[in-house]
Amino acid sequence: MILCDHLTKIYNGVPAVDDLCLEIPTGEVFGLLGPNGAGKSTTILMLVGLIQPTSGACSIDGIEVAAHPIEVKKKIGYMPEDVGFYPDRTAEENLDYAARFYGLSEAERKQRVGDLLDLVGLDGVGTKVGGYSKGMRQRLGLARALVNDPEVVILDEPTANLDPRGVLDYRRIVRELADRGTTVLVSSHILSEVSKVCTSVGILARGKLIASGDREMLARAAVQDRVTIDVETGTPMPRLTSPEILSAEFSQDACSARIVAKSDISAYIAETLYAGGVLPRRLAVEKPDMEDILLSYYTEGTA
Amino acid sequence: MTATGMRIIAGKEFSDHLRSRRFHLLFAILAVVAAVGMITGAVQYSKDLSDYNAVQMIAEGEDDPTFAGNLAGLKPSILSAYSQMGMLMAGIGVVLGIAMGFDLVTREKESKSLKSLLAYPVFRDEVINGKALGGVGAIALAMGVVLIVSVAIMALFGIVPNVDELLRILVFGVASFLLVFTFFALALLMSTVSKDSGSALLYSLIVMIVLSSFIPIFAYTPVYSAVFGDAPTPPGMSTYSYQQSSSAYTVTSVAVAYKSDDAVDPEALAEYERASREYMNQKRTITDIVTLVSPTGNYQTILGVASQPAGDNVSGFGNLLGALACNLIALLAMPAAFFGLAWVRFMREDIR
Repeated sequence: MILCDHLTKIYNGVPAVDDLCLEIPTGEVFGLLGPNGAGKSTTILMLVGLIQPTSGACSIDGIEVAAHPIEVKKKIGYMPEDVGFYPDRTAEENLDYAARFYGLSEAERKQRVGDLLDLVGLDGVGTKVGGYSKGMRQRLGLARALVNDPEVVILDEPTANLDPRGVLDYRRIVRELADRGTTVLVSSHILSEVSKVCTSVGILARGKLIASGDREMLARAAVQDRVTIDVETGTPMPRLTSPEILSAEFSQDACSARIVAKSDISAYIAETLYAGGVLPRRLAVEKPDMEDILLSYYTEGTA
Repeated sequence: MTATGMRIIAGKEFSDHLRSRRFHLLFAILAVVAAVGMITGAVQYSKDLSDYNAVQMIAEGEDDPTFAGNLAGLKPSILSAYSQMGMLMAGIGVVLGIAMGFDLVTREKESKSLKSLLAYPVFRDEVINGKALGGVGAIALAMGVVLIVSVAIMALFGIVPNVDELLRILVFGVASFLLVFTFFALALLMSTVSKDSGSALLYSLIVMIVLSSFIPIFAYTPVYSAVFGDAPTPPGMSTYSYQQSSSAYTVTSVAVAYKSDDAVDPEALAEYERASREYMNQKRTITDIVTLVSPTGNYQTILGVASQPAGDNVSGFGNLLGALACNLIALLAMPAAFFGLAWVRFMREDIR
């Protein structure tokens, strides 16, 4: 559904997006992760037809964005990171104005606007958008992205200003979209948000896609790298020798150690201690969490 | 380009203008100025007409045809009221135009709605065209109401303009619209090049001052003389003039001419005539250029010619348009140039 083919955007000689190749199948909820300045928003701006790529191409549902921007814009719903509205108009008026561009009749617009305000929990709010909190604007931004019942929804940092309730509502809406077969692209630097709703992720750093795949695959890839095991014993423990061990730090009394290994060798450690007659008091395996995985990718990508 | 997106944007912009307090305030001032100007003009016209009729009666009884002709003079015209109204319009219309246009694009940037707007299925040119069209519609509405108010006031005073006067009133209306549109287009241009509304307003005011006050200054005799030199002095005469003014006393002007007893050399006189003609031609050319470059200068020129009653200066509507062609074209070209620049700038706007 979404395809980036050697997509490149250069600003003043500096590549913001560098030869990006990416394919997101129909119905996928894809998380585009990366630190600030990684090129996520630039990629999205090219996908929604707001900026032209320096080279390469991107397409939505087989339609090249740069060549047919209007056809593409009709298929997508987009919520920018810095979502903005006309502050002197109500939420209903703002949504109705957006809906007009998609050729909906007055009756359709009224129905759709009412449904969307209900969906994002803003129904019955009669005040002008100028008086909205950031979270309310974010909710309204989500509603506006769905005003044309799009086949592809692109959300740039969608939970940046949402309160916990708003985040739950956002997750529910994205899951409902996924259930209906809508392709969703979520850009974020907050991994926990992406991991909650996305079926697959891509990691961008310095404009390059440094890793992509489903969430578990990325985690496995990272877990295979190294595991930290903390060991505490009541009496001094024997030296541990295993080709899997990358490094080992022991306390002076040899009653505690921090082992970094290529894989989880906790069973081997337990057996060694048992064989040496040492009673383990604590044996903890620290697998890297997703934030560690992401950081390791960022570090790798920016090295 | 499709017309749908432009129509939606134009409709929203038109509605925004009509809902804006700024527009309400300036339009109210404009309408009051028009009404007061017309009432004053209509009262003055009635008095002038009464005086004219009285003089006509005296002239009819006079045997000497030359004396009778001198007495008769020109019949007063209601157009003189439009001339007065136009002077006020030149000030308020300029402010109205700038006020309507200076934040059209910057407001979208400030409220961060531009990115969303451009993400709708709409071409960029539809956005800028729609914004301009909405503004033009609101200006046309304001000018139309002002014209209707002025004609209604005339009707209240029992003054019925003839066809020639109606056409001249129409010229006045079109020129007023173009003047406001010129400054609207200027403000729109500044709105596309500026990052915020404050800067756009400031730049608009600076260019307005340059066009309305700074450039026309070169047509004033003292500045003209200082820049392009004094007029040639007649042979055998030297003229010195002295002028002074302050807040306490207005003007003291002394001109002293020294006349030589020697006979004037005919060749020197011919040379003086040639130099004078050249000087006057040059001055007229520069004054014309300055007027054409200045929208308010053009407007005042159009106003001056259109508000003179037929028979005094330019008779017939066709001749009137012919006489004002350059000014009307200049008044049309300037907003077109401003809008063209705004269009190009907006099409190249960097969205990030």
